[in-house]
Amino acid sequence: MAGCSCGQEKTIIITACSGAANTGLLADQVARKLRAEKVGSMTCLAAIGAELSGYVESARNADRNIIIDGCPVACGAKIFQKLGLKYEEYVMADYEPEKGKTEITQALINDISAHVKADIGSKQACGSALSTTSSI
Amino acid sequence: MVIHGGDAVKVQILGTGCPKCRTLEANAKAAISELGLEAEVEKVTDIEAIMAMGVMMTPALAVDGTVKSVGRVLTKDQIISFIRGGK
Repeated sequence: MAGCSCGQEKTIIITACSGAANTGLLADQVARKLRAEKVGSMTCLAAIGAELSGYVESARNADRNIIIDGCPVACGAKIFQKLGLKYEEYVMADYEPEKGKTEITQALINDISAHVKADIGSKQACGSALSTTSSI
Repeated sequence: MVIHGGDAVKVQILGTGCPKCRTLEANAKAAISELGLEAEVEKVTDIEAIMAMGVMMTPALAVDGTVKSVGRVLTKDQIISFIRGGK
């Protein structure tokens, strides 16, 4: 849980497509690693897609929603677009892995999660506009 | 104006008891009072129960089991709007 809003900390929610392909597995593992490293709180994309009210309203009120999609089909981003929620998307296939081919190793998970973590941090640090956002 | 289907409205305040949670609860009670509704106000303080509703930030407000707001202290008028079925 991200926590009580009495504090001043920014709320970052992480979701992953966790799709069937190897890139979906990678998305899931990268998201879990980001959560373990306290980049943000992870929640269920499926619950948001199912429009369960608590999940949707939590995403609506988050300072940043980080979507880890596996491939350019971009299911996570499309769910957020459909619901009019702001988001930042990272697509695993934009990095090294090839959908349906690349073996997902721990080294690959570590490498890509480090890249994503650094990018998330840099946007937070400089206060730049969030990329790939849709207006509410 | 039909505000509700006739049954008692169930309003849930989700939060662990911080000042914002208490303010939200007070505003909810004021909203219910102004509407003259028969309503049940339930405080949900158990973190597991809060998370089971998908709520990531508190305080949150639910009306008849549907989460309407997360991480905000709603005013009385905002709560009235939610109870009436608005957004």
